[in-house]
Amino acid sequence: AETLQIVVSSSPVPSHANDKESYLWRSHTGGFGTTLESRGSCKRNQGIENQKKSERKVSSAVSNMSRRYDSRTTIFSPEGRLYQVEYAMEAIGNAGSAIGILAKDGVVLIGEKKVTSKLLQTSTSAEKMYKIDDHVACAVAGIMSDANILINTARVQAQRYTFMYQEPMPVEQLVQSLCDTKQGYTQFGGLRPFGVSFLFAGWDKNHGFQLYMSDPSGNYGGWKAAAVGANNQAAQSILKQDYKDDASREEVVELALKVLSKTMDSTSLTSEKLELAEVFLTPSGSVQYHVHSPESLTKLLVKHGVTQPAAETS
Amino acid sequence: MSIFEYNGSAVVAMGGKNCFAIASDRRLGVQLQTIATDFQRISKIHDRVFIGLSGLATDVQTLYQRLVFRHKLYQLREERDMKPETFASLVSAILYEKRFGPYLCQPVIAGLGEDDKPFICTMDSIGAKELAKDFVVSGTASESLYGACEAMYKPDMEAEELFETISQALLSSVDRDCLSGWGGHVYVVTPTEIKERILKGRMD
Repeated sequence: AETLQIVVSSSPVPSHANDKESYLWRSHTGGFGTTLESRGSCKRNQGIENQKKSERKVSSAVSNMSRRYDSRTTIFSPEGRLYQVEYAMEAIGNAGSAIGILAKDGVVLIGEKKVTSKLLQTSTSAEKMYKIDDHVACAVAGIMSDANILINTARVQAQRYTFMYQEPMPVEQLVQSLCDTKQGYTQFGGLRPFGVSFLFAGWDKNHGFQLYMSDPSGNYGGWKAAAVGANNQAAQSILKQDYKDDASREEVVELALKVLSKTMDSTSLTSEKLELAEVFLTPSGSVQYHVHSPESLTKLLVKHGVTQPAAETS
Repeated sequence: MSIFEYNGSAVVAMGGKNCFAIASDRRLGVQLQTIATDFQRISKIHDRVFIGLSGLATDVQTLYQRLVFRHKLYQLREERDMKPETFASLVSAILYEKRFGPYLCQPVIAGLGEDDKPFICTMDSIGAKELAKDFVVSGTASESLYGACEAMYKPDMEAEELFETISQALLSSVDRDCLSGWGGHVYVVTPTEIKERILKGRMD
């Protein structure tokens, strides 16, 4: 509700123009402005300011103006951005990182567990890696509760496809179908987007082993190596240099551990802070999703020499 | 002619000592005409739970596919296999959902529960569960099967003897039923292995 306060006095109306004091008036959208405006004048000023802006060609980050465009998820900003989607990606940038790398004979997913405490009841269920179907698994970065909803959706979608066609859902179609769900939250309903990025790893008979990355906007891409979550840019650039095509699963596991040890914030790498999973084919031809046990992880860490504190990176 | 007798079927399950056996015939017919002699009525849900479905063949297949759907999701969410008792409750619930337009099949569920105790049960087409300790039957040959099993069954049989008993009971019962037969399909499940065998009886 808006209240109108009428003051009868002889003192001048405070305004930003006064040297001694500066005031900011609350505008009807909840932001602040330098003049007291009614809704009508607000709209007029919007038009004028837009014109001025295009003339000045100012590329601002989150300016005062943008406050008008981030309260609703489903509208574009004047610069053509969807702020809510970008804020969602910001949220993911603070979450534990996850890296996925394609090998010649499998896909490796590795995740950094952000929540480690002695008090945490370590159940068998994972924090970063989830199985979607027998032939597809995913790693998660972002808000866990959002991730749970999407993982459940993905599982049901995969089963519905199998029920309809009596064969496993192709990996790209599963990713696409989940991304269509995510996209819906950026275009209608007035609900916020999901604050999760996924790395999907899977196998199907048409395209073999595949790795896909998807983000809150509903965009997805197929990758040879990808990173999401905290420090993902640093991880991505290291991967760009060190990734080799047609590496074996062991070489890829080594690469993944090395990259994570360089980009992780924490001072030392132990098996309780990591989750490592591999998707590969058994000799009998069925797809296997295997999560490494803490003992096996410790052995791998020692083998590849990454248990020492992470080296200082620039 | 009842719709349950359209395709013809015979399914039986027996409990033994820390094992169970489930068997079915292999005929698929369209009333009097036989159109397949290798029809699968028994399917594995996981290593310790099997379901055999008798009745209309299309519902047998569709109901099985729906159960796989539900079980897969259960496995993913709970990260474990379903117990046979739980699975039986699931089947019963799914059948009752279609109370006024039912799936025209009668399931026979057999599994190994906790401590490797065998669990067998059957239900009607709208989900009325019937648990038994000894044997359960269903299909067009069910009356003959009741008689044969009652005569041949003894409690606490080991896997090999159980196989013999269930095979004899099945073959002699389907011989008295024109709509089922053309051989048998027997699974004998112990905590360590699953043995699948095909029987050759009167091929008619």
